[in-house]
Amino acid sequence: MKPLVWLMLAWACTGAVSAQSLDESWSLSGKLRTQWEGRQVAELGPLAQANALESGTVNLAAQGTTAQVELHASGRNWSAIATAQQQAWDAQRGQSTASINELVATMDAGSWQFSGGKKIVGWDVGYAFRPNDMVQQEVRRTLVSSTNEGRPVVMAEHFGAESSWSLVAVNPGGNVDCLGGCEPAWAARYYQRLGAADGHAFARIADRTGLSAGAALAWVASEGLELHASVRSLQHADSKSMNLASTALVASNPWQASTTPGATQALLGGTWTNAQQFSLLLEAWWDGTALSSDQWADWRKRNQALGALAQRGAPVSAVAGNLAWQSESFGVSSSLQRGNMYARLSWDIDAWQPSLDLLYHPADAGLMVTASIQWKGDTLQVQGGVRVSTGPDDAVLMQLPLRRQAFLLANWAF
Amino acid sequence: MKTLTKIFAAVALTAAFTAQAQDVTTLLKAADKFRMSADNLQVETQINVVNADGTPDKERRYKVFAQAGRKSLVLMLSPAEKGQKVLMLGDDFWLLMPDSQRPLRITPMQKLLGDASTGDIATMSWADDYSGKLVGEERCDGAPAGAPQVPCLHLSLSATRKGVTYQRIELWLGKTRSEPLKADLFVLSDKLAKQATFVLDKPNAATMVTEMVLADQVSNHKTTQVRYLHRKERQVPPEWLNPMFLVRNPPLD
Repeated sequence: MKPLVWLMLAWACTGAVSAQSLDESWSLSGKLRTQWEGRQVAELGPLAQANALESGTVNLAAQGTTAQVELHASGRNWSAIATAQQQAWDAQRGQSTASINELVATMDAGSWQFSGGKKIVGWDVGYAFRPNDMVQQEVRRTLVSSTNEGRPVVMAEHFGAESSWSLVAVNPGGNVDCLGGCEPAWAARYYQRLGAADGHAFARIADRTGLSAGAALAWVASEGLELHASVRSLQHADSKSMNLASTALVASNPWQASTTPGATQALLGGTWTNAQQFSLLLEAWWDGTALSSDQWADWRKRNQALGALAQRGAPVSAVAGNLAWQSESFGVSSSLQRGNMYARLSWDIDAWQPSLDLLYHPADAGLMVTASIQWKGDTLQVQGGVRVSTGPDDAVLMQLPLRRQAFLLANWAF
Repeated sequence: MKTLTKIFAAVALTAAFTAQAQDVTTLLKAADKFRMSADNLQVETQINVVNADGTPDKERRYKVFAQAGRKSLVLMLSPAEKGQKVLMLGDDFWLLMPDSQRPLRITPMQKLLGDASTGDIATMSWADDYSGKLVGEERCDGAPAGAPQVPCLHLSLSATRKGVTYQRIELWLGKTRSEPLKADLFVLSDKLAKQATFVLDKPNAATMVTEMVLADQVSNHKTTQVRYLHRKERQVPPEWLNPMFLVRNPPLD
């Protein structure tokens, strides 16, 4: 469906609500968002090398604008979230997309709840890294947060006063070879309230990636301190791999889908808030599915070797293409490095919330800094910020395609 | 003989303290009835925040399920917060955001955030959370403003639980019916955070509090009017008080 139709539908529904012409058992709401993003391309890294060798190997837009409408509807055991957006980069003709983020039917049988459809299901307790989001497997720490797109699920859940369990058939009938979150699987979660703590146990089983099991805890330790932890052990994880030790030119993308054996993911974090409404979130995590320091070292050597090949007279286009393929490494895992540290400092002062967040990689001293400020009115929210990568030249964060990003957005809720 | 006198004195003193404590508990239970007219309630609440210069700042609407055993669920209804929920089970609190699929465990300090903290909206009783002493009888301003002063009882209360919004409360109740008249609310650092005054439905024969006015004494000196628009007795199903159930955004009507 064309976004314009979605927009019109959203507005029509909004008008219908305000006119109270809809059945009262239905609830409708939504958001309109306009966003501008500016980018500064990195001078380091394989994409920069590729473009230096052959201009236009990979075109990265310098700025773009997005207009988005998101509509939420629920009632009579149905709930739906739909998004339509128009995006334009560097004054090019805009690209329109529309998606159903969620469309789910529920059956309420008291303490038993059954759901079926496309649903957003997030389970873990962390902020910057959530290994136990076994169903959703969402991208974390995006520049601007947006509503996720759910997964096809059939769910049975039971809720007691202080405990619950969920059994989920994820992507039922899907393709077994589908990578990442779209692999058909069974997932389960058990929750138990333990006084000032929430305890969770998780399990997932799938044909290709096998069994994984995890646990999480969130604990309010004192008046202003909350601590949380997550751990997950995976029999296999979806990944991408290539022979990084090779320095030869190849004719096609050398990165192939692969399965990593026996990985562990773990996170430890906490939030401290004081009476002046300052809040500090600290998290550290280990992601065994990410590339190791040795693999990154091989990757750097290959980048250098490819650059040297061009100087020795190898075909420039081939070298530039091979360098561009090197950037596939950034999508191997949800974490770039295995060891990660994250801090977020924010301050609530009336309608304003300035914040500063830092992602640090101890392995190579790479640092990503995001500073933003948000103003929140009754229905209008305005936010602006910048994100900068810094650190030694060979740090992985410095090799990313973008060095700096800035954004400005306005959200209107209706 | 001296020992016997001391024992008698100690027993008399203990009995006096116990009697006073019982008196305070009885007074608090009577005062609670003016806001919490049943053990399990559904309350529609409207918040109006007014700036120090008298200009309106913001308006918020809430639905509160206040249940026996210090359990409350606050549903936020205004467009700016629509879909947000705060669950309070004793000293444990969760924040549920509509765009997030996980309930956030929040600390008592995070519960304090905002002009009218969630604790101000959701907590409608003192008897279960505070103990204290009767300071004495005083004269309090009558209602409406300008009316003759009325006799009132001054209670000094201390929190008996760690998760309450205010650690100390100086509370003034009407002498005859124990209706709440005003309160000074102190946070953990013993700083006066807010001063509350209570508006009653019938000044001469009050049956319920219709409005609580909170004057900020710390930062912005804003005034928050908490209006109780509608109350009805309602016990919610136990799963409604489970954070994992609430995160599914179920219909709660």
